[in-house]
Amino acid sequence: MTSGIALAQVVLHNRSNPDCIQRNDIFCPGWAIDNIDRYVDPTVQHVVLVLASVGIGFAIAFTLALLAHRYRPLSTPFLAATGVLYTIPSIAFFFLLLPITGRGRTTAIIALTAFTLQIIYRNIMTGLNNVPPDIRDAGSGMGLTQRQLLWRVELPLALPEIIAGLRVATVSTVAIATLAVFVNGGGLGTEIYTAGRLTFKTGIILAGGLAIAMALVFDFALVTFQRYATPWQRAVPT
Amino acid sequence: MPEGNSSARGSGSGGALSVRYEHVTKRYPGSDSPAVEDLTLEIPAGDICVLVGPSGCGKTTAMRMANRMVEMDSGDILLGEESVRARPPARLRREMGYVIQQVGLFPHRTIAQNIATVPILLGWDRNRIDARVRELLELIRLDPALGERYPAQLSGGQQQRVGVARALAADPPVMLMDEPFGAIDPINRERLQNEFLRLQAEIRKTILFVTHDIDEAIKMGDRIAVMRVGGRVEQYASPAELLMAPADEFVEDFVGADRALKRLALMRVRDIDLWEAPLAYVGQPTAEVRAKLDSAEVPYPLLVDDQRRPLGWLSERDLAADIVPDRPDSAPDPILEVDDVMRDALANLLQTETQYAPVVDAGRHIAGVLSVEIISEFLTSPEAKTDEHSATERPHD
Repeated sequence: MTSGIALAQVVLHNRSNPDCIQRNDIFCPGWAIDNIDRYVDPTVQHVVLVLASVGIGFAIAFTLALLAHRYRPLSTPFLAATGVLYTIPSIAFFFLLLPITGRGRTTAIIALTAFTLQIIYRNIMTGLNNVPPDIRDAGSGMGLTQRQLLWRVELPLALPEIIAGLRVATVSTVAIATLAVFVNGGGLGTEIYTAGRLTFKTGIILAGGLAIAMALVFDFALVTFQRYATPWQRAVPT
Repeated sequence: MPEGNSSARGSGSGGALSVRYEHVTKRYPGSDSPAVEDLTLEIPAGDICVLVGPSGCGKTTAMRMANRMVEMDSGDILLGEESVRARPPARLRREMGYVIQQVGLFPHRTIAQNIATVPILLGWDRNRIDARVRELLELIRLDPALGERYPAQLSGGQQQRVGVARALAADPPVMLMDEPFGAIDPINRERLQNEFLRLQAEIRKTILFVTHDIDEAIKMGDRIAVMRVGGRVEQYASPAELLMAPADEFVEDFVGADRALKRLALMRVRDIDLWEAPLAYVGQPTAEVRAKLDSAEVPYPLLVDDQRRPLGWLSERDLAADIVPDRPDSAPDPILEVDDVMRDALANLLQTETQYAPVVDAGRHIAGVLSVEIISEFLTSPEAKTDEHSATERPHD
């Protein structure tokens, strides 16, 4: 996208170059600048789709993980269930939901949420399981209750893995959310898959570029959060 | 089996409690033999009791039942007069220090926060916690600036000391220590052990200390319980008693063939019958000194000043004169003290290649003479004692 802007400046004197559009060149900067307004709403919708799906997905996966952490036998069925949801092809999932929840954002969010569960659940479990047994032993040996051990020791120590899961889930949700348009769920997909647009290269590249930029921003935000939330990881041995 | 003598040593302890195991049994599911069977043990308040034995002997299980990290099947453990089952486990554990081999410091908490763990659980106010953390950092001789560091930034030895400080934070009457120095290299282990003994002399906690290392047990323990697989205590005795009179072949094997040598580490020079040196004073007629020599245990006269402080050994040549000279032929090196550890005294004798060394008391006055011969006689004698003792003090099964 950066190169697109640079290119746009070069050809600024010739913004609405009809030839470029006519020839359906790989990217027509003039058209992009003139039509940037139409991308605002889809971008906002896309952000909402991603935040809602990852947010709800995290809430559900977190609950499942805490249950499985406390009641070990649950962990395998939970892994299997979220795994099944994860393996359903995304498009198929959207259409499967149509008769139940109808067309619209809700359907999109349900499907997207379902996809995040496996990644987030598995990472929370990995994080909790990776807490060294001696730290757990020392904790309960000093009189932390199970709950205190979980919230004060295990979850903080699992944070890097949990955030790693959120990063993967968020980035992939940004990508898959472009399919929400098929159930009328809005998002950047509207500018890609809408009839007549599928062949227009500039439009597809612009929408795709915005999606990539969004993924990068979310990812950076999570990395930054982790950096400040886990100062001990940066502590250098002296 | 163990003599139930509640030693008076615990009297100076600030709230230390005795710990009493009464017929405690633990059997893990799926295991034929019990991990701990009918364990009865009394640890007087303020003492260090070492549970020692080969791996799988149930020593750690025995310890962990005290703070209910492992629940016993039957029997009871009393802290003072109260059963450990009187309170919920988490509450009980906050009143028992807990130190493990891997230390288990919380990596995401600073050193100060780690030490404050139990005080925070107990709901102390900030100022009290801060003051206590400072006090403990001082007690374990750690630079207060390290309080803001994370565990990963400390050396293994420093982490272990922080582990001890964390266990002491709420001033618990009882401490449980599971191989606390097991992961430390030998040189630092020695230092940490000494440091801990110095600390214990101050704090006088009742300590259950688990180790597989008999040398550590002898060094750290006021009393040692030697356990064997199946969780049975073969002998519960003081280190000296254990070395002098192993109750049976198992204990004898476990203590090691060099147990006589180990005993030297437990003894002071004062504990042995010293020889008397024929003393000579400056200006005394040599004839008098010669007369003494005939009946003396030590064949050389020791020149002392008028305060009976040793000046040196007199040689044949010195005695050739009429009166005792004020400058002896050989300096009295080494001079030992009655409080020297016997093992060090022997090392000293061997190192300086001398056969006799004068021993002085706190005022540097001569107290006697130690010789390699005395020590070797002592080393060969315990064998005779062993048989008498094991016959009378073998634990009834």
